[in-house]
Amino acid sequence: MESAEGAKQHAPERSGPAAGPAQSTAPRGPREDQGRPLYHEETIDLGGDGFGSEDSNNLVDKLDEPMMESVLISDSPNNSDDGAGDLGCLQDVVETAEGGADHRRESVVDEEALGALSDDGESDGEDTPKDVADMTSDSRASLKEDPEQEEVKDLPTCEHEGAEDLGPGDARAPAAGPASGLSPRQPSPKDEPVPMCTIFSQLPPAGSQPQVPRDGFESQMVKSPSFSGASEAAARTPPQVVQPSPSLSKFFGDTTSTSSLASDFFDSFTTSTFISVSNPNASPSIPESLSSLAATPVGENSLGSADPSYSPGTERSESGVSTASLEIPQSPKPFSQIQAVFAGSEDPFATALSMSEMDRRNDAWLPGEATRNVLISVTTQQYSTVFVDKEGLTMPGLKFDNIQGDAVKDLMLRFLGEKAAAKRQVLNANSVEQSFVGLKQLISCKNWRAAVDLCGRLLTAHGQGYGKSGLPTSHTADSLQLWFVRLALLVKLGLFQNAEMEFEPFGNLDQPDLYYEYYPHVYPGRRGSMVPFSMRILHAELQQYLGNPQESLDRLHRVKAVCSKILTNLEQGLAEDGSINCTAQENRQASVQLWRSRLGRVTCSMANCLLLMKDYVLAVDAYRSVVQYFPEQEPQLLSCIGRIFLQIGDIKTAEKYFQDVEKVTQKLEGLQGKIMVLMNRAFLHLGQNNFADAHRCFTEILKIDPANAVANNNAAVCLLYLGRLKDSLRQLEAMTQQDPRHCLHESALFNLTTMYELESSRSLQKKQALLEAVASKEGDCFNTQCLKLA
Amino acid sequence: MEVNPAKQEHLLALKVMRLTKPTLFTNIPVTCEEKDLPGDLFNQLMRDDPSTVNGAEILMLGEMLTLPQNFGNIFLGETFSSYISVHNDSNQVVKDILVKADLQTSSQRLNLSASNAAVAELKPDCCIDDVIHHEVKEIGTHILVCAVSYTTQGGEKMYFRKFFKFQVLKPLDVKTKFYNAETDEVFLEAQIQNITTSPMFMEKVSLEPSIMYNVAELNSVNQAGECVTTFGSRAYLQPMDTRQYLYCLKPKKEFAEKAGIIKGVTVIGKLDIVWKTNLGERGRLQTSQLQRMAPGYGDVRLSLEAIPDTVNLEEPFHITCKITNCSSERTMDLVLEMCNTSSIHWCGISGRQLGKLHPSSSLCLALTLLSSVQGLQSVSGLRLTDTFLKRTYEYDDIAQVCVVSLAIKVES
Repeated sequence: MESAEGAKQHAPERSGPAAGPAQSTAPRGPREDQGRPLYHEETIDLGGDGFGSEDSNNLVDKLDEPMMESVLISDSPNNSDDGAGDLGCLQDVVETAEGGADHRRESVVDEEALGALSDDGESDGEDTPKDVADMTSDSRASLKEDPEQEEVKDLPTCEHEGAEDLGPGDARAPAAGPASGLSPRQPSPKDEPVPMCTIFSQLPPAGSQPQVPRDGFESQMVKSPSFSGASEAAARTPPQVVQPSPSLSKFFGDTTSTSSLASDFFDSFTTSTFISVSNPNASPSIPESLSSLAATPVGENSLGSADPSYSPGTERSESGVSTASLEIPQSPKPFSQIQAVFAGSEDPFATALSMSEMDRRNDAWLPGEATRNVLISVTTQQYSTVFVDKEGLTMPGLKFDNIQGDAVKDLMLRFLGEKAAAKRQVLNANSVEQSFVGLKQLISCKNWRAAVDLCGRLLTAHGQGYGKSGLPTSHTADSLQLWFVRLALLVKLGLFQNAEMEFEPFGNLDQPDLYYEYYPHVYPGRRGSMVPFSMRILHAELQQYLGNPQESLDRLHRVKAVCSKILTNLEQGLAEDGSINCTAQENRQASVQLWRSRLGRVTCSMANCLLLMKDYVLAVDAYRSVVQYFPEQEPQLLSCIGRIFLQIGDIKTAEKYFQDVEKVTQKLEGLQGKIMVLMNRAFLHLGQNNFADAHRCFTEILKIDPANAVANNNAAVCLLYLGRLKDSLRQLEAMTQQDPRHCLHESALFNLTTMYELESSRSLQKKQALLEAVASKEGDCFNTQCLKLA
Repeated sequence: MEVNPAKQEHLLALKVMRLTKPTLFTNIPVTCEEKDLPGDLFNQLMRDDPSTVNGAEILMLGEMLTLPQNFGNIFLGETFSSYISVHNDSNQVVKDILVKADLQTSSQRLNLSASNAAVAELKPDCCIDDVIHHEVKEIGTHILVCAVSYTTQGGEKMYFRKFFKFQVLKPLDVKTKFYNAETDEVFLEAQIQNITTSPMFMEKVSLEPSIMYNVAELNSVNQAGECVTTFGSRAYLQPMDTRQYLYCLKPKKEFAEKAGIIKGVTVIGKLDIVWKTNLGERGRLQTSQLQRMAPGYGDVRLSLEAIPDTVNLEEPFHITCKITNCSSERTMDLVLEMCNTSSIHWCGISGRQLGKLHPSSSLCLALTLLSSVQGLQSVSGLRLTDTFLKRTYEYDDIAQVCVVSLAIKVES
């Protein structure tokens, strides 16, 4: 028997100095003398104790902490030093299991280990790196709540099943049992788990009645086919600790219980950090140069300042009535404007004057019924007053006025010192021209945080600055473009909650003051929506990142419905909005093309959203339908569908799609098709657990396209699974050094730092070196979480 | 005694990482149009980002592989893979390194190391790498015990161990239900529920019958010459989804004839389940032997071999009965009586001797009867008496026939 053997081999260890039963120092002496093998077998009894008493309950909690590490199940670098604590715990378990040999000694050990535990819990928590702590707190919580409940539930079921299914199980069960029975710290009998097959018992649902199946169904035990009877005598049902499935990306994993670690990595910028930022002094101090910025289009200048005759809410806010009067100056107006809103009664001359074909195409939108009525009355009753409910107006304002910050620099200050940090120079909102040019400059050098700030300044100049939300204002095409850029950058930065807050005053983007017709003086004759189409997409997609994919889908469907209606209008020879159209054929062609691509864009967003919702069947259907709008993307779309099936585990269907890609790409010239085919083959090998062939395919891509970052990264990942850590590191390091502009990607860096952690206890220095590389290349939008330094 | 033994710097560091399958990086597409303020900027940024799909940047699911981010869940039947790296952190050469990885479960201890040979020496900053694989066969707590022994330059023998604990969870919930057909066939309904947190592709769910049965899987239909699964296009099970499989089991001929054998608790077979999850992560489980209580037929079983479904009113028709001696060792001497009911009238002699019937043998009997009432009529009223034990067995409600009037039939 194993336990007997273990006890024998423990003899020398016992004779050693008592100081460290768990550590290697103690047994060393005798071993050298006798030339005994360094290893000894012992059985760790997993089921016998643990949850037995209050004390051991704690013990298990604590036991878990150092064990359940995140990616690395290993200890953290410094942990191995004071690993005595956890080793002690385990040793404790071990020796209890070993049973009879030497009670006296063991009882001493046990007591001590227990004594040590109270300290260990804390010290371990400190020693393990932060990310680990996140993870463990998770598992700890679940461990704590589970045991009691399950104890109760399990017993009846195991008797039931044991009698029915487990011939050999019964006989075997005691084998594991007696050891713990001898332990001085024996759990009270009632707590002692019945050493029977709890493995196979299912946990009855909340009602916790033993499974007398009312529906006539009988639960069956499942076991690994190659497993012999031994299993059937087993420990308790494990606590159903549902941890996030690691192997699953955001789409395929488990969103509800996703570990903080994974989300840290992906949604790194937790919103709470920034929401609180508010600087009341910031808004009034607008540089002089800004005041003219908001007004680029003709006739807009007057709008930039809050001209009471234009701002629809001033009177109302004074009188406190809930309706706003839109007072339109009594000046004579060009005749054409009056008719502009009426379908079919366009004055061709006026149109030619005021509204280019291109604008009409781009801005076309179909307002909702209520909005449409308001817009009509604005143009028809321009000599009287139009009442618009305050609720129906858009009154945006910055919700936080300063998110400037550079996480890279902060990290440098922390790890590399002030001197190094001083070298980090990135553009900020002050260092560029306070205009669209400066804004574009910030965006293209990836200083998105600074760009968000600059957008804020420009909007402040427009009167929609911090604290202006809810106050009457007016909109221009440019102010909406600025909002779009700001919100888009917030989304790109992962600051979804912030984006949501600032999006809120825009409602469903269908308020009358978001249409050109609402401002007949500023935009004479111009029609359509000021809201850029991309902003509608952003508005819809934002919800899925906030965990409301259903709302996203609803909004996308609304956008899609309008796109489809406009396309139908065009196909019937009408203008986009359904009015009689007299434009040239090529203009209509261009319009059809534009709206088809928009329809494709929104369909693709729906597919992405469905993928997030894990509705793979519908997602695949949606991606397939995108092909008709973007036929040139067919191979990419088919490959994407193939990858979806791979992620679900349906290798055969994935292979079918990849074969389709090979057929489609045969017609293509150039390398891109070839790379795609090789990439798909590599993924298929991965799906078949064949990392060697996958690596071969990725390497082949690198022969064709040495700069291919994806193939480089993926080949390195394969090498790790093949047990070639050093080679893998070399490949990734070479890649990040050769092409830092493209290859300092957070995913590649995450892989690299993970491997550093696996390689050596000195990963910190190497991560710091990466930080320096990042500092010299990346803007302030860099997601520092992937360096795993914090 | 000290609780914490003197802290000791080890020259080697042991790191362990679980190798679940990598995941594909997903990006957040943000696009704009030519006419928007950023112009082509946003789209250019997406094109420059290596994690997007070249040529179709709006697709969320990229091609970049990302290493696992946490330990995650492991389920019974899956393969536990782990990277074990021993790194020489010191600046001296270390000799005779032996790395051993054992997995301790509640019932056994397994050695997972690929080789048990010692490595002669390890230079500074070098690694010993090992990737271990183990198909998880038990549920509950597992502890991976990694032990490293080595000799320092000074000839000192060093040894340390690390323990990594994880829980193995149950991935599936399987429930079964049996239906006994009037014939010897048995139908098995099996409900398989995915109790993991990720979608699961069921690659194979098959019933391996015991030697007494042949099995027909009833989970696909033939549509235009092609076998189509009854589960539709949804080839996978979402978390908590349940799928129902149906099987038909027929006793093999040699067992069917000796009907006595199939009685009491019989072993039907076991379900073999193979599934795959993320990027082909595979799992396989079997149920224990499924058992069913065969319906009890008593000592003498009367079963129908042939009966018309529709008969004419007041016209004789024939049925064929099979009488089987199900007792274990008793030979029977049987007498057949036929009692008329209000609607069913037996033709022929009641109380005739059927002769001796040996254990596990059967005889076929052709009987004639007619019905005097229209509608669905129950065939009842057969009595068998074993003259040795003076025991009478009654057989009522053996089958049903639809009795129609010939006159009506002609009219219609």
